[in-house]
Amino acid sequence: MRTITIANRDGETFEVNSKRPILETLRDQGVDLPFGCKYGGCITCAAKLISGKVDQNRQVALNNRQINDGYIILCVARPLTDITIEIGVESHGNLYRNPFLDPLKPHELKADIATPKEV
Amino acid sequence: MECCGPGYSSPSEAIKAPREKLLYTIAIYTGTGIQKPDYLATVDIDPHSETYSQVIHRLEMPGIGDELHHMGWNACSSCFDDGSMSRKYLLLPGVRSNNIHIVDTATNPRAPSLHKVISGADIKSKTNLSGPHTVHCLGSEIIISMLGDAKGEAPGGYLHLNKDFEIEGRWENSMGDIKFGYDFWYQPRHNIMVSSEWAAPNTFMPGFDLEEVGHLKYGREIHFWDFEKKEPIETMYLGEDGLLPLEVKFHHDPDSSHGFCGAALSSNVIHWWKDNAGKWQWEKIIDVANEPHPEWPLPVPGVMSAILISMDDKYLYLNNWLHGDMRQYDISDPHNPILTGQVWMGGLLGKAPIVNGVKMAGGPQMFQLSLDGKRLYVTTSLFSTWDNQFYPEIREQGGVMVMIDCDPINGGMSLNEDFIVDFGKEPNGPSRCHEARYPGGDCTSDIWL
Repeated sequence: MRTITIANRDGETFEVNSKRPILETLRDQGVDLPFGCKYGGCITCAAKLISGKVDQNRQVALNNRQINDGYIILCVARPLTDITIEIGVESHGNLYRNPFLDPLKPHELKADIATPKEV
Repeated sequence: MECCGPGYSSPSEAIKAPREKLLYTIAIYTGTGIQKPDYLATVDIDPHSETYSQVIHRLEMPGIGDELHHMGWNACSSCFDDGSMSRKYLLLPGVRSNNIHIVDTATNPRAPSLHKVISGADIKSKTNLSGPHTVHCLGSEIIISMLGDAKGEAPGGYLHLNKDFEIEGRWENSMGDIKFGYDFWYQPRHNIMVSSEWAAPNTFMPGFDLEEVGHLKYGREIHFWDFEKKEPIETMYLGEDGLLPLEVKFHHDPDSSHGFCGAALSSNVIHWWKDNAGKWQWEKIIDVANEPHPEWPLPVPGVMSAILISMDDKYLYLNNWLHGDMRQYDISDPHNPILTGQVWMGGLLGKAPIVNGVKMAGGPQMFQLSLDGKRLYVTTSLFSTWDNQFYPEIREQGGVMVMIDCDPINGGMSLNEDFIVDFGKEPNGPSRCHEARYPGGDCTSDIWL
């Protein structure tokens, strides 16, 4: 079991099974969360990880910039530690980006096409 | 010609149909932060009615997060000779949830009701498909383009439903070398179907990374199919002229081989036709130039996400979602289109920030033309995640529907000042409207055998 704290719901906490996706375990406990595809591909359920670690290997929606900004895909992510997150559209401040105004660098693309960061 | 089935005997008969009085548009809450279901809105478009230019009914879907997008009828003029069929049901697929909602619009056209839901999970398990988009019927069969497999990977395929909305399986016999799916249209007298390309659902659903175009994660080809054999026979590589080839439309005239595709990112119209030797040809006929933006490092493309052909095949309508203009071209000579009308509404270039007193968020996006070609209804939202990238203020302001008066004789278009539907004022908060259809069939629904 892991503890999930939802920072933008007055710090409410939930005990969850760490083997199941966070979306599922939180919804089972009555948390109203947006979601769409349930396979990690559509970004509707994105949340922001404030602290702790998750395994979200199955997600294919996020580019590396979004991952570096702390975004996680709740329908596939599982908690590896106790975590604190922000949920819902209020947490999506940096999630959406105008690609003409603010292009991605090659290392910020999605994992399958990103090139390593030059140092 | 009188008959007993749905629709009209020909496009010229459709033009003579009574004026539309009701319009259906989908409205979404998916991606807006409002935890409510997407819904089908009925808009009163009868100018003699007291509730003209208002939403008069809202049919909520049973779940949250579908992202309703496009719609299609269970039957159209392709069933005109079949007295056992009627245009009763509108199919509303959810792009994200994969659920397909079957809505009864005939029992009470002003207040449609939910007839059945085909569950997205059922579609995935029986066909390994997801990401439903375009719905067409032919005879009593219903075909839906599905943009991905069950995991959201391209190219997906085509879902085949029977007239009782049961899953028959996959429609196509082969996807050939097709990389992506999106829209499709067919012209049965030429035994041809044309399909276009967006991207894999897990590429376009999270939003638009421009850089992925260069990595070939978005389409740039259109495909010609042997319609009876249900397999692709020829691919047209459009290259830089055809980045994100989205909507495809044939002439309504069932004898014509001419058709058109709007390439969204290139903002070009591609024209195809069968030459005298029976070979399919294509050319670029309209090229909307990118516009500089004072604050952006890159010039702004039009983003021509939709095209529409008037029922008399004389005019082509297109949108530039980021620039903010709707255009009308005379395509009497399809090789040489002539710009005959233009209206500005919203967009990023600042040409028309307020329309009929409503501050616009978004630009012209989907549109539906009356059968007589005189009234064009235009909405402003593209797709929730893409809206959020380009027009973040749409979260607070919602979508808008406007009407443009069109002159089908001499050409020309002007904004109608008496009509506007502000989806920013919906009872559950700002929603976003997209595709629109009328009960009797419209300019993007019917195919003639």
